[in-house]
Amino acid sequence: MPLPLYYFLSITAVNILMSWALYVPYRMAHLHFLVVANMAISGYAAAYMVLSLHLPFGLALLAGFAIGAAVGFLVALFIGDAPTFAVVIVGFTFIYIARTVIENTEAVGGTMGLFGLPNIGGDPAVHRWTILSILYGLVLLVGFLIHRFDHSQLGRAASAAFIDKDLTTSLGIDIRKMGILLQTFSCTLAGGCGVLYGFIYKSFHLDYFTFHVVGILMTFIFVGGYTTLWGAVLAAPVLYGVPLLFPPEIASWRIVIYGALLVLVLVLKPEGVITTRFVYRVEALLSRKGLKQPPSTNP
Amino acid sequence: MEVFIAQVINGISLGSIYLLLVTGFNLLLLVAMIIHFAYPQVVVLSMYIIWLVLGYTGNNLLLGTLAGVASSILLNLISAPLFQKVMEKRGEVDINSTMVVSMGMGMIITDVLSHGFNKGHPIAFPDTLAGGDAIVRIGLISILPGQVYAFGVGVVAVSAFFWLLYKTRPGRAFRAIAEDPSGARLVGIPLLKTGLQSYALSGLLGGLIALLLAALLGSASSALGEQVAIKVIAVSIIAGLGNLVGGLVVGLSLGIVEAVVQGYISGTWSNVIAFVIMLVVILAKPNGLFGLKI
Amino acid sequence: MEPNEATTAQPTAPQPLLALENVTVSYGHVNALKNASIQVFKGEIVVLIGANGAGKTTLLETALGINTPVSGRISFKGEPIGGVAVDRNVRAGVCLVPEGRGIFASMSVLDNLLLGAHNNMKNAGKHRERVYEWFPILKKREHQIARTLSGGERQMLAIGRALMSSPELIMVDEPSIGLAPIVVNDIFSIIRMLNQEGYTILLSEQNANKALKCAHRGYVLETGTVALSGTATHLLNDPGVREAYLGA
Repeated sequence: MPLPLYYFLSITAVNILMSWALYVPYRMAHLHFLVVANMAISGYAAAYMVLSLHLPFGLALLAGFAIGAAVGFLVALFIGDAPTFAVVIVGFTFIYIARTVIENTEAVGGTMGLFGLPNIGGDPAVHRWTILSILYGLVLLVGFLIHRFDHSQLGRAASAAFIDKDLTTSLGIDIRKMGILLQTFSCTLAGGCGVLYGFIYKSFHLDYFTFHVVGILMTFIFVGGYTTLWGAVLAAPVLYGVPLLFPPEIASWRIVIYGALLVLVLVLKPEGVITTRFVYRVEALLSRKGLKQPPSTNP
Repeated sequence: MEVFIAQVINGISLGSIYLLLVTGFNLLLLVAMIIHFAYPQVVVLSMYIIWLVLGYTGNNLLLGTLAGVASSILLNLISAPLFQKVMEKRGEVDINSTMVVSMGMGMIITDVLSHGFNKGHPIAFPDTLAGGDAIVRIGLISILPGQVYAFGVGVVAVSAFFWLLYKTRPGRAFRAIAEDPSGARLVGIPLLKTGLQSYALSGLLGGLIALLLAALLGSASSALGEQVAIKVIAVSIIAGLGNLVGGLVVGLSLGIVEAVVQGYISGTWSNVIAFVIMLVVILAKPNGLFGLKI
Repeated sequence: MEPNEATTAQPTAPQPLLALENVTVSYGHVNALKNASIQVFKGEIVVLIGANGAGKTTLLETALGINTPVSGRISFKGEPIGGVAVDRNVRAGVCLVPEGRGIFASMSVLDNLLLGAHNNMKNAGKHRERVYEWFPILKKREHQIARTLSGGERQMLAIGRALMSSPELIMVDEPSIGLAPIVVNDIFSIIRMLNQEGYTILLSEQNANKALKCAHRGYVLETGTVALSGTATHLLNDPGVREAYLGA
């Protein structure tokens, strides 16, 4: 398979997965930027395991998920029911701390990063196909899980918590437990993504895990639509792929374009391109039962 | 001991800047009813504009000052309609949408700074801004003009701000809106116009802060905005969003703590320690030390 | 004191000071006011009676400019004011003392009064002196935080604040709510006194008895429509009104 296609497909999968990692906690209005820190922490840990400890990739990937889960869970114990701005700041602070620690730790390459990760299965083609299969397998699995979540009672409770946390608590729903669950799920996912992301390039560098990533993911979610998981599925390939076609002078202003798009969407169409009504209509059409009155679940 | 005192002095001037930033941020929160994540980035953008003007006018301090203040006020006022458009109800803080929109603005500003100015390199300010040599020197302790400015301007600005808030007509309107926006409307206070006034005032503060930062740090980079933004908002959260006096206390404290730690531990790690301390406090008390105002 | 003896200011102006003609106001799908028409003439005390949710507050807030009517006309001193911003209406001479007083509890008495003069600062000093004349207790508590005032004092502060904008029409939403009966009597005396000084007063009340005893005319609001109107005496003696609102 041509290399550009490999990169596009694999990075798009990571973008979809990471957007979902932000999507899930945001269903209860938590912008859980900690996930970007999770990517870095698990990614570097896995790389260290493979490069210095010579552990197999599979083990390192599982460790990545586990580290993500552990970090996510521990932090969620404190901020499971915190206000959104606190969650945001905790995320940003963690990203900064994680980056600085990694930057100053020689064992994981410091500012130079880690290079020369071995091919999985010893062969470049096998490596690429393995990475792609794992990534898209994850996309299907996680997508399925989130879909079930969205259409479950827990999902509806999350929608209620998005609108009014206090009211939802008075309905007997444990906001803190919900927060812990959603945040831990996201961080687990993010940990695995961090590992896979580096292995796409067979290297790890701090530039992969910057504050820009936060902005990019936010753009994907809000432009695509934050009320349904399909928003990320549409936004990730399009918003990542189209700038690749731009000439380099314009492509270097990618972040500004993303930022402008984000602001524009919020001002003009805050729910994003794909809304729950739209999804419902498509689902109805596909089941050939004709158009019904859409329910008003997600805000 | 000398190191400690020297660093406390450093910390007071740094803290003065933090508390000014927090005050501007709180003002926007209380009166314009927005969470402006990118407020510090607007300040850094003003710093770049000061640098540009200084470059074109041969380090004319007066013009640089005017440019900094004017650009900050203008940038704030321009962002006002964007914020207004995403706010659902005029009578309350719409946290989610204003926060996200301001993050988008921050993205744009940070990337413009890292692309469009000085080919992405950090900018340096002329020494004349910092005022040259130390005024006082006692052993390791030296007090630089830049530090005196920072602290002095901080004191004057905060006093002026509180005088405005408690002794003038616009200040009364600000306080009324801060306490009860719909009540303020019933009395005939124009929410929109008063909100715009708060944007302008935050802009004025921002311009001053840009100057002080330029004098104190001597340089700026696109990453500065993000770093400072996180610290300022962390300070606001710790003090309790909307808590003006709390913001002063915590902001000053952060400056002093940061500087003292810097005195004993090298560069980047001292920054990390500051962040770790803030992280721990927020994890322990996500609603702030003194409770939420909103 | 009988109402008609106490008030010496007789309503004589042919053009109403405030007029709502067939005003409809809706919040989303709910019609809070439906084709409501009322008139308030200069020098009158007019009272709006009705149960909770009848639309009294909506009517007063619409007259102030908080709500824009979906249909109908509102005019003040002959000029249409439908859809005009609140601060402009306040400058034109309308003011509202909201239910629950609407004072700023964390600000001082003086600051609250000055807020009332926000749109008319030139004469603030003069007006303040006059308010202190009428309400000496406010002068005594000038620098105290409003939160420390008693219920009756807060109502006086709210009325005093309204007076600071030198209004022609004072609207009061439920002046007696939450106040002890003795204090309520004081408040209504104040209202009568202000009327004698030349202020036109439109008030809404659940306590129909005391309100009608001090007013010239009244309107009965039920679920957003004007069900009945007439002179105060007429309404006081109307059997339907007596049964529904006077507890007779």
